[in-house]
Amino acid sequence: MKKYKIIAVFIIALAVCFAIHNLTAENWNVVTMKENIYQRYDSNNGILQTFKEAFAAKNATGKSDMVGLMARAINGEARGETYVGQVAVGAVILNRTENSKFPKTIPGVIYQPGAFTAVSDGQINLPISSKTSAYKAARDALNGWDPTGGCIYYFNPSTATSKWIWGRPQATRIGKHIFAK
Amino acid sequence: MNKFREKLLDFKKRLSDRHMYSIVITVIGLIAVWGMYQLKSEMEFHQKTENQYNRAFFETVEYVQNVETLMAKSMIANTREQGIINLSEVWRQANLAQANLGQLPISQLALENTAKFLTQISDFSYSLVKQNLNGGKITQKQMDDMKTLYDYSEKMSNNLNQLQAELGQGRIKWGELVKKGTPIFNSSSKNFTTKQFENLEKDFKEFPSLIYDGPFSDGLRNQQPMGLTGDNIKQSQAKEAAVKFIGIDKVKDIKPMGTTEGTIKTFNFQAGLKSSPAMDSVVIGISKKGGHPLLYIFNKKIERESVNVEQAKAAAKKFLESRGFNNMEETYYLKEDGVATINFAYSEKGVTIYPDLIKVKVALDDGEIVGFESKAYLTSHRERKIGNPKITQEQAKKIINPKLKVFSSGLAIIPTPGRAEKLTYEFKGKVEGRDFIVYVNADTGKEEQILLIINTPNGILTM
Repeated sequence: MKKYKIIAVFIIALAVCFAIHNLTAENWNVVTMKENIYQRYDSNNGILQTFKEAFAAKNATGKSDMVGLMARAINGEARGETYVGQVAVGAVILNRTENSKFPKTIPGVIYQPGAFTAVSDGQINLPISSKTSAYKAARDALNGWDPTGGCIYYFNPSTATSKWIWGRPQATRIGKHIFAK
Repeated sequence: MNKFREKLLDFKKRLSDRHMYSIVITVIGLIAVWGMYQLKSEMEFHQKTENQYNRAFFETVEYVQNVETLMAKSMIANTREQGIINLSEVWRQANLAQANLGQLPISQLALENTAKFLTQISDFSYSLVKQNLNGGKITQKQMDDMKTLYDYSEKMSNNLNQLQAELGQGRIKWGELVKKGTPIFNSSSKNFTTKQFENLEKDFKEFPSLIYDGPFSDGLRNQQPMGLTGDNIKQSQAKEAAVKFIGIDKVKDIKPMGTTEGTIKTFNFQAGLKSSPAMDSVVIGISKKGGHPLLYIFNKKIERESVNVEQAKAAAKKFLESRGFNNMEETYYLKEDGVATINFAYSEKGVTIYPDLIKVKVALDDGEIVGFESKAYLTSHRERKIGNPKITQEQAKKIINPKLKVFSSGLAIIPTPGRAEKLTYEFKGKVEGRDFIVYVNADTGKEEQILLIINTPNGILTM
């Protein structure tokens, strides 16, 4: 009887390895495809957010689900942060779309390879309810609330390994993140 | 220890059992098959991503080559029409090149100046298209800028050709960079591919700053906020201003939360309210110069709605007036999750000045103010000399589409993407059940902007 148990354990272990591997291997492929899909829906290329804001907060409930995408990015990146810390992360995403050095759309910025750890490790795919603070923070950021004063980078000083990032002009610190230009 | 040895001996004994041998061999066989299957699917996934990256790369190359030729054509185009056609193609193709460049698995930093170049050549061309359409002639300075941009696009195109050849020979592999995405099979990236792209980026390190009428022009970044009147204040004064802004009777305690060294520098404070004592729920930013409120964030939990939008608008207006913002006219609103976000524009002598924008959030449970944002207002508000329009409203009305059934009109100052301002006539009207706002330049009689209005249960949106 005992050997059957050993075999059973083996097979279960194999199945688990298999599942884990597939999940991780698929990640990048999905990331690139998602970027393409979202980019196609982000129809407001070329018109700056600040310009649009002058008339109305357009993006907040547009046809495309930019709030949801941004909320999941915020959730993945700054789940443990205070509310204002979450708005700040959203503001950085938005500030990047208005910076010449970055892609011009929200999905382009979020899915830029290597730009956000929450995208690289798939945490952005965690489903969240529209009642969470990440959702509210995403809306505030899209409506133009920017606690960072126009920053395009942020990092966690206790885990940041890049020397370069320390050289950027720092604007403020909110929770665990330092925000830089 | 002994127990372990016993177990080991027992295992050895059982292995010598013939039955057990066959089982072990089967298991090893299974693992081998599984491993092969895994390898195959891993390679397939790998190939798929590699293909995506190759597509993005080759498209970038193609678009940049087109930009180079189109720039050359634009420079010799002698009629307005040819100029417009070629430059609008530059605008489009450079934009596509920039989007594809952003999809390459290369650190954003490694290619940031290249990306900036593509943004600016696209943006610059668009500004020239608009200038051309309005009958403007290309100036000598713009001609020189075009020459510079052309030279850089030629260099970039050559470099990309070089990289394309290396990719063809298999010397560029996105693989290592891609691996970063799979934490379990993490391999240290040798930055092999990034190195190859260094040459491309190197050329743009020296790229001169470009000033033109567009949102990505280098001139815009140095603009000083015009609404920041007054002297620099101390933190203690800012604290007083913060308490006064939130409401002296509402604040339970307040403490500093550092500063923000942004375009508008602020002292920040965290506050606990009597109604909501948790310290992290309220944050306020007061400008160092003049002590103007810039930002107020209150993450209030709203259980039920008992205030309607009209009441919320009135509450917001009353709040603005009590904080010294007079002549603010409500323009649009949005209702989400029990909160109404209401936009206000400054209004002077009947002219709506859209660039001077303040947003106020009102909680729909009891009409409390839960958000305030005045970056646009502090950036652009000043005493303006509003000139007399050169054309009359009647003349302007003749310019717009006759199908538009106008139900309200008036003068308005609107922003342009290049942060200039234009005096216009604003016509709100309907065509086939759809709401539009059309802006006609009050001096030149040109249509400046058309907005499509979407009425949703949650508010009015413009597109």
